[in-house]
Amino acid sequence: MSNSVFSVISRFVEEYRSSTPNKLKMIDAYLLYILLTGVFQFLYCVLVGTFPFNSFLSGFISCVGSFILAVCLRIQINPQNKRDFQTVSPERAFADFLFAHTILHLVVVNFVG
Amino acid sequence: GKNCSCAWLFWWSVLCSASQKATIPVSNDTRDLLLATVSEDSTASQIHQSVSALSALGLPLASQEVVSALKARISKEDNVLAIILALLTASRLSQQAELGDILEEIEDLAARLDDLGGVYLQFEEGLEATALFVSAAYSLSDHVDMEPPLKEDQVIQLVNSIFSKKSWDSLSEAFSVASAAASLSNNHFHVPVIVSAQGPAAVSHSHPFLRLQVTDVLCQPLSSASVLAESASAVSSKSAVLSQALFTLRDGVFELNFMASQPASGYYQFSVAIAGDSRFVANHVELKVKVSTRVAINNMDLSVVDKDQSIGPKTTRVEYPTKAKASFMADGHQNFAMTFQLVDETTGVELTPHQTFVRLHNQKTGQEVVFVAEPDSKNLYKFELDTAERKTEFDSISGTYALYLMVGDATLENPILWNVADVVLKFLDEEAPGTIQAKTLYVPKPEIPHLFREPEKKPPTAVSNTFTALVLSPFLLLLILWFKLGANISNFTLSPSTILFHIGHAATLGLMYVYWTHLNMFQTLKYLAIIGSLTFLAGNRMLAQKAVKRYKKI
Repeated sequence: MSNSVFSVISRFVEEYRSSTPNKLKMIDAYLLYILLTGVFQFLYCVLVGTFPFNSFLSGFISCVGSFILAVCLRIQINPQNKRDFQTVSPERAFADFLFAHTILHLVVVNFVG
Repeated sequence: GKNCSCAWLFWWSVLCSASQKATIPVSNDTRDLLLATVSEDSTASQIHQSVSALSALGLPLASQEVVSALKARISKEDNVLAIILALLTASRLSQQAELGDILEEIEDLAARLDDLGGVYLQFEEGLEATALFVSAAYSLSDHVDMEPPLKEDQVIQLVNSIFSKKSWDSLSEAFSVASAAASLSNNHFHVPVIVSAQGPAAVSHSHPFLRLQVTDVLCQPLSSASVLAESASAVSSKSAVLSQALFTLRDGVFELNFMASQPASGYYQFSVAIAGDSRFVANHVELKVKVSTRVAINNMDLSVVDKDQSIGPKTTRVEYPTKAKASFMADGHQNFAMTFQLVDETTGVELTPHQTFVRLHNQKTGQEVVFVAEPDSKNLYKFELDTAERKTEFDSISGTYALYLMVGDATLENPILWNVADVVLKFLDEEAPGTIQAKTLYVPKPEIPHLFREPEKKPPTAVSNTFTALVLSPFLLLLILWFKLGANISNFTLSPSTILFHIGHAATLGLMYVYWTHLNMFQTLKYLAIIGSLTFLAGNRMLAQKAVKRYKKI
């Protein structure tokens, strides 16, 4: 049982390393960064307390929002999905990403206090 | 000219007729003037004055012409006062004339009365109009000998309205009330009856007679009436005490010996009917009568009971109104007890008055403590004083207290304040206050300082700093990963749009920081609009160039 799980994982990792283009790997690294940041914030809240609750919420939502936007960017940039996004070029996806981030940060900074 | 003459003639004729001159010489011109006024063109007031003058002077007049003139005036003027004057005028005409239409006006006018709370009935024009209406309606009804279409309730409500004021604004208002009072006491159809008790409606053994004054609205006694108490029942138990008892007339007052039925003390509801004349209106009344009595205190026993019941109680009997010779001692180990009975002096029936208080008065300090004595199921009053239990009421001040019994009730003729005995109370000395202070109820209370909201407990700085570092650490990881993946800026073109875009983007991030520290949303949006539009334009151009390059490569 554990053998098959381990083999599935190692195969997945191999496939990932070989077939994913570099651009996507960079976005994946960014996603990992965002995830870790969110996790650490949540850990602080659980361990120490929710004192400036609004700050915690704003930081956490910033992480969640950024993660989602980055995932959207990754999906739209992926050449394998070209058929689904005929009207959206990678540049357009990136521009949308930047615009959405501006609005997200406006709200986050407003709420962080 | 014509107006003044008519009015003058009217008043002069009234005076003359009042002075009962048999014949008054009147010239033909005067007579013609008066007759000429009787027409559709004169006001109702003028017609009334000329008809009254003619009838007072004994001159003939054409009643039918007057009737048609009045009918025309009523339809033209159609206000309450005009119709009332028409009624008064009609009452001076010949009985053979057709006064039916004018008589119907009474009913129409009655419909115009305003019902105020089911108690008063009056015209919105006021008291004077209402009172004049009553006198006009009854004088016309008497004249044609037909009962006015006013129901008993309406008559009662009219009486309430007309006699509601004790002083009047004008002489004419006072006249109208007097005129109405005269009509109501002296007409052929309805005579309202006023029933009131002479003095307070209360009887007792010393005053056993219930006295009622039965009069008309002019306070003239109705000696021909027969007054019957249909029923009398106790208010509390609703049991009937009296039925069909006749009042006897003595000196213009109707009286009934209620104490002969031996009622217990309390309140009784009487239902009284006045008969004797079919014209009587409002001749059923309800009265509340109080029966008072004298109270006597029996079997007043004072005792000091030991708490652990080892020594039997010593009971001392005291007779009212004497005081017990010896004083009683009660300290923490003993209770002071008092039992007594309250009975009706004449009948011996047990009573439970509203107020039965036991008052202890410290003569030295002026302290006063009042307790309530409660009756048990057998109507025996008991009072017990446990010094240990009641020390707060006494402030633990030991000393001699004078004991008073206070008995009172609305139905008692002899309320009682009786100094029964002296009681020496002993409290534990250490609990007594050093100085006796009067109870300070109305001094300023201690001030309550405002508590500002406590700031929340913050974690120690070390913990916060650690976590800050922890949260920022993934950024380091990101840079390392990107480096390992081979991120580079080799495709960086130095075109103006690229540079402008990057400057704009950096400015946006800087604006976010400044927003966090200094600005508010409105200012930020303003700056963001400027920076954002520049960044957008530059970025658009830059990305377009990149896209073109990509297409060319493919």
